[in-house]
Formats: sequence, structure tokens, C-alpha cells
Amino acid sequence: MTMRTLRQTQVQAGWVRERARVLTHDGDGEIFKLTLAAPAVARRATAGQFVQIHPLPVGLPGQPGPAPTGQPRPAAVMSNGQRSQASPRPAALDPLLRRPLSLCEIRPEAGEISLIYRVVGRGTRALSAVPPGAMVDLLGPLGRSFPDPRAGQGRLLLIGGGLGIPPMAAAARWAVQGGRPVVAILGARTARYLAGAREVAATGVPVITVTDDGSAGERGLVTDALDRLIGMSEPASGDRAGAAAPDRGPGTEDRIGEVWACGPEPMLAAVKERCAEAGIPCFVSVERFMACGFGACLGCTVPKAGGGYLKTCQDGPVFPAEEVVLGGF
Amino acid sequence: MGSESVRPAGGSGGSAPDLSVRLFGRTFKTPVWPASGCFGYGREFAGVMDLSQIGAICVKGTAIEPWDGNPGIRVVETPGGMLNAIGLQNPGVDHFLTVDWPWLQERGATVIVNIVGRTVDEYAAVARRLEGTGVAGLELNISCPNVKEGGMAFGTTPRSAAEVTAAVRRATTLPLIVKLSPNVTDIVEIARAVESAGADGLSVINTLMGMSIDIRRRRPHLGNVFGGLSGPAIKPIALRMVWQVAGAVKVPVIGIGGIMTGEDAVEFLMAGASAVQVGTACFVDPRAPLTIAEELAQFMAEHGYRRVGDLVGAARLRGAL
Repeated sequence: MTMRTLRQTQVQAGWVRERARVLTHDGDGEIFKLTLAAPAVARRATAGQFVQIHPLPVGLPGQPGPAPTGQPRPAAVMSNGQRSQASPRPAALDPLLRRPLSLCEIRPEAGEISLIYRVVGRGTRALSAVPPGAMVDLLGPLGRSFPDPRAGQGRLLLIGGGLGIPPMAAAARWAVQGGRPVVAILGARTARYLAGAREVAATGVPVITVTDDGSAGERGLVTDALDRLIGMSEPASGDRAGAAAPDRGPGTEDRIGEVWACGPEPMLAAVKERCAEAGIPCFVSVERFMACGFGACLGCTVPKAGGGYLKTCQDGPVFPAEEVVLGGF
Repeated sequence: MGSESVRPAGGSGGSAPDLSVRLFGRTFKTPVWPASGCFGYGREFAGVMDLSQIGAICVKGTAIEPWDGNPGIRVVETPGGMLNAIGLQNPGVDHFLTVDWPWLQERGATVIVNIVGRTVDEYAAVARRLEGTGVAGLELNISCPNVKEGGMAFGTTPRSAAEVTAAVRRATTLPLIVKLSPNVTDIVEIARAVESAGADGLSVINTLMGMSIDIRRRRPHLGNVFGGLSGPAIKPIALRMVWQVAGAVKVPVIGIGGIMTGEDAVEFLMAGASAVQVGTACFVDPRAPLTIAEELAQFMAEHGYRRVGDLVGAARLRGAL
């Protein structure tokens, strides 16, 4: 019994290629936050979208838009506005491919974006070594964002699990700016893996923190807090979201009217199931290995409800939950 | 020849090199083409480049009916390369003809359609549908290692490779390029067999079959277990095979395998390729087919090569003397 979600994920603007200067890059050896001067991406990006990042300024002309072969070799456009000739290209890049990272913060007014990532392999390890002041190579913003929060009904619930927390900062800011009532549940294994929670809280949204071991916030799973908020279990004292028949009409703004979730796929599957039972529209942001990130390689597919596949990079990464089959990863 | 040639920026002295190549009775603006499976149907790239400037777009492998592709993880990076097991997901030739081909024509693109099939008849059926449509040629994928009942079987023996080539030859008057699999004992034997069966050109090589294991989950990374290895890691093997095949057949050879730069392209041309295709590079730099063509022109200008043909087989001359 899936409900029809009429609200749509969206693409605000086409992607560009941008050389971005590293402003800050901090980490504990495992989890890093990278802030970039990337005005072209920042101007176009919306919460839920991602960038494909290469830790080397790949050495190819960074010219967005057509540059016919008959023209002189274009100079790279640097994010600081300077132009410079493309650097010599390494014969074999290592890492070879870009890495897809969700946008954590989008600040078009400052021309900045931030990304939070975990070192999981050679690509992210190479990225983690890039110092402030260096240039990285971006394609973005890529993919479909969450739906416009201003158009939805009821209170918006953001759920971030682990490395699914960072994109919720951009989502929270968008919702707050749109005047949408919003609350966030942020969960992780331990306090250490709550990266991005500070950025979410900085937007001013109320945050319920949950960890597996209780090292921060409540002990438990994000779905425990979710059940409480949508009335799928005994309401906690003082919590009035326990009504059996959800009526998302006027005057019930504190009732959860929509859920946006990002995190491990089992978590997304559990959130999707509960939202379906409660009749609450749910949007999930999924993660896949990608080669290109812009729809050409067909490497990042997610099974489509009813058969076939959708592209995470282009049809997603944000999907109406009922459109995808979750739990395979 | 060369009336529509593009003359990219090169050295300042003398006339700029001519990047155009004449193959299969027509002129291509450049000899650097995006490889099938790495450029979709061009749509995803149109925002960052002028598709009409590309020598030829080798579009996604296209079947008589839509194919869903493989379940599970489809791509993973390996040192100097990547493995893919997409499973030839494609929307089918009717979708191509009604949606993609008109769109590509509006943009002035030159298109070579890569065709796939599960049977000889399916290959021939796709070829028949493309007859008279104005596409520049067909590239027969007899070598994709991804689909268990697909291309692999045709490309691995001279007899079956020749059989499917001959069937498509009978079905089309279009230029017919056969894309060879490197996952064979003797690629030269297969190259000679498909040339005899009517191929007008050979693409050398498709991906090399490989695998990788996720040691934390104790299982292969790819849902299909095996996948095709591409990228710079395979370039020396591809170059060796281009050299061998170009020395054994009379039809033009199109070199493919890990080309990331103009100088890589020069190597393939010097080994005997008449043109090249770039695949994995398009994922890193969407403009790679144009960027690499520009770099090729730059090399030609700096080293006094006026035409692409002056490079073709240039490294073989020493051995011939």
C-alpha cells in the first residue's frame, strides 16, 4: 500500500565544471570537512544534490560551455576569477575517477560550499591530503534535489544517519529559509560519527540526536525517535504527535507531514516502511559507486519499483521512497 | 578531403595540422571519438560541449529490444582503471530512432551506432533498422564481457565472430566496424576472420575481463562478479593488440584502451590505428574527446605532422626497414 507522492524531486540548473580553491580542510584522520570557494556550483546547487570531485585539478581545460575544436585551447577558469593555462596532464591519474559527495552547506551569497566525507578508500584518502589553498576539480551540482520545502504540508522531518547527516544541513537551511516548520533526527554509531550534526544545528532547527551506544543524545536508532514523532509507538511524555488518524490540515503544523532521509540503506528501508504505514510522503537520498555522476555510464543504478533501474546520479540521488527498491546495499 | 576539416590550435609556425580523417568513404572532423558505453547517446554531454565538433559519437550498445542491465554494484575503481558490469542496459533501437537519433541530428552530430544482440538474428535485425537512417556506420559489439548470453560468445572464436559479422554484412550497406574482444588467445586470428567476413574496420580493443573483491564483505565487488577493465591500466595491452592487428589486416583499425591524453592517442596512431576512441576518460573529463583532439593537434604542430595520416603506423616504419 504505497501512497502516491505528487511532490517531485527537482533539478534547478545544469551542472558545470569548476576549479575550486580549498578554503578549509579539517579532519581527524577519518572524517573530514572540506570548504571550497566554488561560486558557480554554489549558485546553482540545491539541497540533496552532489558534486563529483577530483583531488587533482585534473589538468584539463576547465572551460564550461562549448569550446569548438577550432578555437585556441581555453584557459582554465579558476574560482578566484583568475585565468591560468591548464597544467600538464598526468598520463595516469590516481585516483582515476572522481568521487561523488553530497553538498553539506551551500552558501551562494559567499560563493562557498562545504562537503563532509569519510576516508573509505584510495580516492577519499587522496582527497584528504589536499591542503587549504590547493585547487580541486568539481562537476556539479549533480542530480535531483529534495522537493521545494515551501510547497509541502505539515512539519518536515529530516533524518540523517552517519554520513547521511551532512546533506541534512543544506536541507535544514532550505526549509528554514522557506519558512517550513522542521525538525531533525540525526543518528550515528557513536558520537564520533555525528559529523554534520553541528552544521544542521547551526541552521536553528530542533535536533534529536541518537547514537547506538548512547555516547551522544538518546541511545537507540533513528527509527525509535521516528516512531515517537509519527505516533507509531507510545508517545513520550509531552510529545503530542500520537494521533492515530493523521490529519494534515490547517492547524496541525507540528504534525510530521513529510520525511527526507539520507543514510545507510537499511535505515532508509526502515524509514520508508514506517512512512508508508503512516501515510507520510517520504523522500530518500541513496548512495552508489559512480563512474561519471552525470548519467552516461549507467554504473550507479538503483532498482526501480515495478522493474528496471533508475540512475542514482540523474534520476536521484533523492527519490520519492516508493519509486525505488531499497535494502540491496 | 578536408573541406569540413577542423583546424585546432597548434603551433604558431606554418599551417595548423589537419585533424580530419577519411575513413569508410567519408570524412570525420577528428580521429578522436567517444567510445560506446562511455558517452550514452550524447545527451548528458551537450551542456558542456558542441557535439558537432566530435569526429564521431559511438553511442551506447543498442539492441533490438530494451535491455535492463545487471543487478547489484556495476562499477568499481581499480588501480589505474575501473571495472564495469553494466550489462548493456539500453533502451532499444526503436527508442534510439524515435528519440535519440533526431535529437543528435539536430545537433549536427556524426553517429556510429554500436549494436548488440543475443543471437545472430538480433544483431542483423538492429542493423536492418538502421539502414537508410543516415547514421555514419555500425560498430558490432561481439566482445562485451558483461552479459552471459551476449557478446562474449561471438567474439571468442574466429568462426562465431565471422558468422555474426557476415550476417550483419548481409543486412546493411553501412560501414561495418567490428569491435574485438581482447579476452581471446589470438586476436589476430579473429581479426582476420571478421575482415574476411566483410568488416570495413576493426575497433581494438573492448574491455579486459577482470574482477575485484570487497575483503570486508567477503564478496566480489561487482554484482556480476566479473567486469570489463578499462582505463590507463589496459593501455599497454591495447597498444600491443592494435600493433598486431594493424599489421595483419588491410581494413582500418580504430585504437581503444586507456587513452587519456593527446600523446596517448599519438601512440595508438603510430602503432597503426587510423583513429582512436576514448572511453573512461569521458567520465573524468566530459570534454575528453575534444580535449584529446586538441592535444593531438598540438603534438602534430610541435612535431611537424600536417595530417593524421602522417602519424598512422609511423612507429612501424623502423621495423619494416
